[in-house]
Amino acid sequence: MTVTATEICVLTAALLACLIVGSLHLKVNLWLYAMSTLFIALATAAAALEHSETGLFVIAILIALLKSIAIPKFFSWAIDKLHVYRDLGAIIAPPLAMHAAILLFSLSFILTKEIPSPAGPGNGWFGAAGGISLVFTGLLLMLTRRLAISQIFGFLVIENGIYVFALTQTKGMPLMVEMGILLDVLVGVMVSGLLLFKIQKSFEHIDVGQLTQLKEP
Amino acid sequence: MTALLHWLTFLLSIILLPVLTLGTIRKTKARLQNRIGPPICQPIYDLVKLSRKGETISSTMCGVFRLSSLLAFADILVLAWLTPWLCFKPWAPHSNIFMVVYLFAFARMFTLLGSLDSGSAFGAFSASREATLSLLVEPAVLLALVSLGIFFGSSDLRVIFSHQTNQTFTDSAIWIAAGLAIFFSSLVELSRMPVDDPTTHLELTMIHEAMILEASGRNLALIEFAHALKMSIFFGLASQCFLRAFPQFNTFNVYSQGGLNIVGILGLALFVGLLESLIVKLQWRKVPEFIAYILSLSLIASLAAIGAGVIK
Repeated sequence: MTVTATEICVLTAALLACLIVGSLHLKVNLWLYAMSTLFIALATAAAALEHSETGLFVIAILIALLKSIAIPKFFSWAIDKLHVYRDLGAIIAPPLAMHAAILLFSLSFILTKEIPSPAGPGNGWFGAAGGISLVFTGLLLMLTRRLAISQIFGFLVIENGIYVFALTQTKGMPLMVEMGILLDVLVGVMVSGLLLFKIQKSFEHIDVGQLTQLKEP
Repeated sequence: MTALLHWLTFLLSIILLPVLTLGTIRKTKARLQNRIGPPICQPIYDLVKLSRKGETISSTMCGVFRLSSLLAFADILVLAWLTPWLCFKPWAPHSNIFMVVYLFAFARMFTLLGSLDSGSAFGAFSASREATLSLLVEPAVLLALVSLGIFFGSSDLRVIFSHQTNQTFTDSAIWIAAGLAIFFSSLVELSRMPVDDPTTHLELTMIHEAMILEASGRNLALIEFAHALKMSIFFGLASQCFLRAFPQFNTFNVYSQGGLNIVGILGLALFVGLLESLIVKLQWRKVPEFIAYILSLSLIASLAAIGAGVIK
């Protein structure tokens, strides 16, 4: 079985995403997210070389600039503004959650074996497994965290997973679609950042576990 | 003649490599702190000096204290003989994974007994800390070695570390993940920087140093040398894992393999020196988190090994 450069990059990104679950420090999480996204950009560039499509190169550069530099920078600024540096964690301890994420990573291999691949059997198996594993990791991240900002990280990881799945299964989407999605993600991050500040202002914390409690006016 | 040469190089590397590894770490740290630092061979002079000195023994001790350091040293020597940490060993005995891991634990047990026998308060609490650490890191080491065992279909380390495989992506990935796990768990086993500061002067924060606080003279020399030898055994295993991740390694002849192996051990020592100058010691409560990361590396290795077996 041969493994392409795209798939190696995707699997590395998925493993880096698994490590996000293991730490409660928001800045460490952001750094790992940026590294994971950088590997996804590399995977896109490798896919562009494999299918010789220039559109994918543009997308790779855009992902590297927007998702692995601009968004982490924005959140880093937001963390400094909010003065919240650590998540509290929920349900299970972070090290155990990380081990669960790695188990889900291997589970996603078994799951993707059942999916009929459009590019023929045995093709793009690792890439699809990486994408599904990223979705699992994002869900686990959202489940095991309490702060609103960590929920956004989880959402971003899930978004990465869906993008990777599309990239490895369809040989890349059209340039316009990808640019639209990237714009959507950017706008979504900005809006959620604004919401964070709003929640912080009216509740004096960003703990989503306590948002159900009513507050005296 | 070649057999004699092999024996000589093996004996020389058992004596010299631990010292050089320790010396390299100290030299790197000194250079990074803008000091000239002691020469790389300084640990040899230290050991010679220690073995000439007389020792002081507390009146509360029984014979266990003297015996324990001797037994731990003997145990580590047996391990240096058993484990394939150098690829130019003159005669490779069978070495079961589980036996190797628990012989390491056996050596640690003697050190713990010695520190408990000394009767000092520091000895007791550092023994308790060391026992906790070994308990936490044991699954990581075991899983890393077992993942290699699963992949190569044998629980004999000699077979694993002399395997000629058709190198694929999964081969390299498993070797690298297992090597990283062995290397980082060796940092915990040897109580080095992220877990314990080997140059600390405050007894309350010590782990390994507080255990050997009461040892002096020849006893201390034995303990220090056994510790250094254990370090080079671990680094040797890890460096071989990293080297075997490259498919070209198997095509070299035995001399260049051995040379690369030694360079790998010293390179890991250099890396440890770099690491110890750049990072700070972890809070005691944060150590399980660090070990969880090591365990996840071993988990990745073992899952990859199982997955590779399923695909085949």
